[in-house]
Amino acid sequence: MKTVIVRPERCVGCWQCRVACAVEHSRSKNLLGAMAEPVIPKARLRIFPGRLNLAFPNKCRHCDPAPCQQVCIAGAISRDPTRGVIDIAPERCINCGMCAMACPFGVLAYAPVWQVPEKRAVAVKCDQCPEREQAGRLPACVEACKVGALIYGDWETAQVEKGRLVAQAVFSGLLAQPEHAPPMPHTIRLWRQWG
Amino acid sequence: MHYVIIGASAAGLSAAETVRLLDPQGAITLISEEAIRPYRRPMLTYLLGREAGLDDIWLRPPSHFYKLGVRALLGEGVVQVDPQAKEVHLAGGRVVRYDRLLVASGAQPRLLGIPGENLAGVFTLRHLADWQKLEANLRAGAAVAVVGAGPVGLKAAEALVRRGQRVILVEAEAGPLPRLLDQTAGFLLKQHLSGLGVELYFETRPVAILGDGGRVRALVLADGRELAVEVVLLAVGVRSRLEFFQGTSLASDGPISVSSFLQTQYPEIFAAGDCTAVPDFFSGKPTSYQIWPAAVSQGQVAGANMVGAGRRYAGLLPQNSISIQGFKIISGGLLAPDPQRTEVWSSFDDKRGVYRRLLFQEGCLVGVTLAGEVADAGIYFQIMAQKLPVKALPVDLRSPDFHPGKLWG
Repeated sequence: MKTVIVRPERCVGCWQCRVACAVEHSRSKNLLGAMAEPVIPKARLRIFPGRLNLAFPNKCRHCDPAPCQQVCIAGAISRDPTRGVIDIAPERCINCGMCAMACPFGVLAYAPVWQVPEKRAVAVKCDQCPEREQAGRLPACVEACKVGALIYGDWETAQVEKGRLVAQAVFSGLLAQPEHAPPMPHTIRLWRQWG
Repeated sequence: MHYVIIGASAAGLSAAETVRLLDPQGAITLISEEAIRPYRRPMLTYLLGREAGLDDIWLRPPSHFYKLGVRALLGEGVVQVDPQAKEVHLAGGRVVRYDRLLVASGAQPRLLGIPGENLAGVFTLRHLADWQKLEANLRAGAAVAVVGAGPVGLKAAEALVRRGQRVILVEAEAGPLPRLLDQTAGFLLKQHLSGLGVELYFETRPVAILGDGGRVRALVLADGRELAVEVVLLAVGVRSRLEFFQGTSLASDGPISVSSFLQTQYPEIFAAGDCTAVPDFFSGKPTSYQIWPAAVSQGQVAGANMVGAGRRYAGLLPQNSISIQGFKIISGGLLAPDPQRTEVWSSFDDKRGVYRRLLFQEGCLVGVTLAGEVADAGIYFQIMAQKLPVKALPVDLRSPDFHPGKLWG
């Protein structure tokens, strides 16, 4: 299953993915139109300042089995059998908060959506842009990300790739030539010469 | 192997599906008193508030039992279980023999035992038939007294307000959801309820229901006040349904106690869902806490164990989420913590109406209440369920800017 993969070490916290996500989940699907809509769309991923104040994007992992799907008393949360993505049907959601209680990653938010304007709020989270996927385009957040912190692909492949990169970095460190070691500061050399 | 399951709601249905998954050949018989296919019981209050329709409440499509290869005896009550002969006697006189039995018979609403409960206009809300009766007898604009401020009472009160009824909420304890919420969270919830227009009567109990020509006229409280109402909805908790164990060694007044394998004293009889007292997550003592997700997971464990998987139930971690007009409170953990051993920390942001309360014991998180902002609730429950020492976490849970980024970033 292809999914949005987060590489937090690359994130600079520019929030362009959030803007792109909100626009994609608006009715008009363009920034100017979205701002004028009666229901202001909400981004479905959040960027937190992590430790050392580096940015940390947090979004739905589409778990299998999904705890939110198991506790949903309204039957609004289901897994798309072909895409493998966990999705919430806004017309069935009753805004009870059970999914927030079950989600181990804290990705659920409650906000009004244009599909059901009569409801005060429904649970919203990443749906991995079904319309874009159908058209063969990248999810909005991935398209917006300029630094490669969000990529779209198979997570198993991505994990292998990352393992290879880490191994490469470790090996290049081990194989480094001693002459590349930094020279001793001249103050220390002078101190030793002095006595 | 013949698996017999009594009850076709959350626990019974998930058990039947688990058994079928692990034993494709075995015969499964599902017995339910309700003559309709399984439905989502917590949706009844949403049905009452017309936020959901009848189409939204079914758990599975009509052909589900046929496809699953389950013989479903719907509309047949159980009158007696004979553990010695391994037989289940049904109300229609039919006798079903079993090799493995799951008791997932659930619970029925408690009554108060006060005079006037048999009058027309006194209802409970547990089964779909209860909703149909209530719906048929609810005159638009009539005053309704909801007795009990538990999850059902609160959601029913909200639903009745949505329908334009005058709603009176009566609760014996000092605040709503007394088992889960402390004073501050209870106060916030009370504020939202009175903001809705619900008339609140706390720390008093009804002593009688007065009638006029067989119909409800008024509710009398312990302090002598008389509230003129047309309908009384009793939501004062539930009682396990285990009458069919009368005369056997499994007969008990309260819920049936089970081991952590959800087994009763008879190794071939299992129990799950609202009719059981399962080991508590913290103490391991038998506890009953009736909530839908717990019944589903118990059904899965019991179903697997009926086939012989030997799965251990992780223990019941009480938790619930209540949402009144979009204001959410999620609370869970130790229900009655020992004040000597427990460190309580709380913060309240008056401006945003956000409340956070954490309980710690021996360096572990044992309780959490979130009100107003609940997005991170699952993270706290995960920390609680894994019994992680809070000192080892990269961030202090109590810091004002606690968020997932600090934990994983």
